[in-house]
Amino acid sequence: MTLSQSELLPLVAGDDPQAVLWQRGARPVTRAAFVRAAQRFAATLPGDGPLLNLCESRERFALTLAAALLARRTLLLPPSTAPATLREIAETHGVRAAVGERAELAAGLAWLPAPETGDADAAGEFGAVPAIPAAAIAAIPFTSGSTGRPQPHPKTWGTLVRTAQLALARFAPGGGRPSVVATVPPQHMYGLETSVVFALAGGLRTHAGKPFFPADVVAALAEVPAPRLLVTTPVHLRALVAAGLRAPAIERIVSATAPLAPELAAAAERLFGAPVCEIYGCTEAGSLATRRTVDGEIWRLHDGATLTPHEDGAALHGTHLPDAVWLQDRIELLDAGAGRFRLLGRAQDLLKVAGKRMSAADLTQKLLLIPGVEDGVIVPPDTGRERPAALVVAPSLSEAQILAALAERVDPVFLPRPLKRVARLPRNELGKLPQAQLAALLAGAGP
Amino acid sequence: MSTQTAAERDMAALLIEALHLEDRDPATVDPAAPLFGEGAGSWGLDSIDALEIALAIQQKYGIELKADNEATKRAFASLRALTDYIAAQRPQAVH
Repeated sequence: MTLSQSELLPLVAGDDPQAVLWQRGARPVTRAAFVRAAQRFAATLPGDGPLLNLCESRERFALTLAAALLARRTLLLPPSTAPATLREIAETHGVRAAVGERAELAAGLAWLPAPETGDADAAGEFGAVPAIPAAAIAAIPFTSGSTGRPQPHPKTWGTLVRTAQLALARFAPGGGRPSVVATVPPQHMYGLETSVVFALAGGLRTHAGKPFFPADVVAALAEVPAPRLLVTTPVHLRALVAAGLRAPAIERIVSATAPLAPELAAAAERLFGAPVCEIYGCTEAGSLATRRTVDGEIWRLHDGATLTPHEDGAALHGTHLPDAVWLQDRIELLDAGAGRFRLLGRAQDLLKVAGKRMSAADLTQKLLLIPGVEDGVIVPPDTGRERPAALVVAPSLSEAQILAALAERVDPVFLPRPLKRVARLPRNELGKLPQAQLAALLAGAGP
Repeated sequence: MSTQTAAERDMAALLIEALHLEDRDPATVDPAAPLFGEGAGSWGLDSIDALEIALAIQQKYGIELKADNEATKRAFASLRALTDYIAAQRPQAVH
């Protein structure tokens, strides 16, 4: 099915208006109450022009998204709440107001208190679910951008809905409707898709909170009924596994934002008795492929999408996407019909040493497969260094042991120099590694 | 700089070990200094450090920190606030 300009898609999926959409702590919020609250907020939105959505609660975030769609207001999702970032986005895009729970985060913009579904919304007659044009721009997530300036990525409602449905076909096969608990913010593409659009377009009951500590995650899981889908990142999953708390039954764990070490995925599968799946995606395309980490490195492309590999990247086409998306990753198609492929790494990460080629991502993965290596990253060569370097978290291994193990897996020209053990990698909240901090760690003294 | 108590020194040692901040001496850190943020004198910790601290406290004291709790937010203000918070929680944890 291709996207049609005139097509309409419901604001919330499903036939039963009394089905629970959000779980605010122990309190359930029905679809009918949610729609009424969104219509109420849309009718009272002051002023005009685009809005920043700073809401931390997924229910409030989704109410703001729904109200902006109903009131035809552009909704911007900042990559962080750093005041300088918010001011830059506001200046570039003519934003005068921000919706959020906390006035102090509004960075000098007019602050609109976050909406919430109230008791009055839950009562009374329910009319029709509003229909939204598939071509309407539903939200504009921003990425930090390689130049440091936030980059906008407009998303139509149709693309958000279709992409979420393709991902749900993998995570909730057979039309199942697990309850979602997510540790990631709704402003980023991964969190937007899995913890907001899964709810609206897939009818999944979703916990409104963003649990942080392992005990928070366990408590949030206990507040939603089984089957449960936990949406998280390698950083949060590592903490959860290390804490070893008794958790309610989990049906599936989904991780994204950074590569998940197969050892950690296996440990999480043993502890929770649930498959651990990864999403391959980007802000430009949303999710585009999935895999179960312990099954190996082969990704399965979303149904109906095609990938065309090129020397320095790949083109992604899909009927759910308005335009083809260029991926900065080099890929190897294994079975075009079934959409099976291998990631060979970032195009700009191609390591060329002594006339041989290997991707930094591939080398990183081989490093992470060494027993005892908990985390690690390959840092590509730079002007002062002709060979790749590595930072490794492996408390029980020496540098020499790690290099020996790696030498069994890769051509010796790619053995990192230096390979440095560190206590931990400087991952940010989403598990990503800022290049400047990696360089500083490489330059600094050992652990 | 404020004077440390023995409990604060123990907590400083736990944090330094858990976060691998071995360049610091538990005996000389300021117990009133902020743990998070960029301010002068701050430890400069981030949210990933908070996960590590929670894990270390769970493993040493059997206390599970929760972020949806105002008391936890106050406890992460400084080494002193964290030490006081854990001391107040411990009798419950023993029961």
